[in-house]
Amino acid sequence: MIETVVSAPAVAAVAVHAAEQVAGVRVQPGVAGLVGSVVRAARQQIKGLQPAPVEGVRVRWSGTAAVLEVDVVISGQDQAAAVARAVQRSVRALVPELTGVAVESVLVTIVDVAW
Amino acid sequence: MAVTSDYVLPCGRDVEEVWEAIDLSDEHTRSCPHCGAVRESLLVLREATAEMVREEVEPPFDLVSRVMSAVRADVRRSDVVPLPGDGLARISTRAVAAVLRYAADGVDGVRARGCRVVEAPESTGMDPVIEVELSIAITAGQVTHQAYDEVRRRVLAAASARIGVRLARLDLVVSDVLEG
Repeated sequence: MIETVVSAPAVAAVAVHAAEQVAGVRVQPGVAGLVGSVVRAARQQIKGLQPAPVEGVRVRWSGTAAVLEVDVVISGQDQAAAVARAVQRSVRALVPELTGVAVESVLVTIVDVAW
Repeated sequence: MAVTSDYVLPCGRDVEEVWEAIDLSDEHTRSCPHCGAVRESLLVLREATAEMVREEVEPPFDLVSRVMSAVRADVRRSDVVPLPGDGLARISTRAVAAVLRYAADGVDGVRARGCRVVEAPESTGMDPVIEVELSIAITAGQVTHQAYDEVRRRVLAAASARIGVRLARLDLVVSDVLEG
């Protein structure tokens, strides 16, 4: 039997990518995420790698399915509710497609609107 | 370097001795394959460490703004109102306030000041409802009562068009009058 294990940062990186596919959306890391990103970037830099951003997305597991929380800043162009739905759709579609991990839920929090 | 003191090489010396004598290679070190190999790796290690010490680490130019937006994001995440849908989309009250203030600012002679947003008691996940208290400064001589209606109209429109929530109550507080 072959078992595939996808790590939480990999799922988070795909989720960040998926969320930012939506026009006018930027994923916003919190302080913990920012500190984590510095540590991770420093470690990867020694190996000469450029890590994909994972901050701003928190991943928890419910069995084998991922429970995702995404924090975003949106542009004021489109309706916030519609943008949040678009982010949910994009993450729900891309995460299983690119990682094979099932998504149980995607909680989107719009932390700011920036013109 | 007590950690290496237990690490005795087959020739009887330990790694620490090799490290101490790394620059004065004696007869034994030159001929002993074990000491030679250890010395090689220690030299590589020393070179790499020196390189990392020399390396100037510049903080990214936008570090301060990144830290500040991270801090703001953490604060804002704790104070949110739901967006319509499955209950898994939310928006911070600060973001709502920013949109509504911007809408009120569009009216001539009106400057939005503070904006307090709370979720109304009748709000549900499918149909979120908010209550807003908006304080404004008006320019004397430029603003009539029609301007208040215009502010009300624009803020209501912005809540549904820009955010997607229903505004059940809007209290306008004229907190200041500016010279015309």
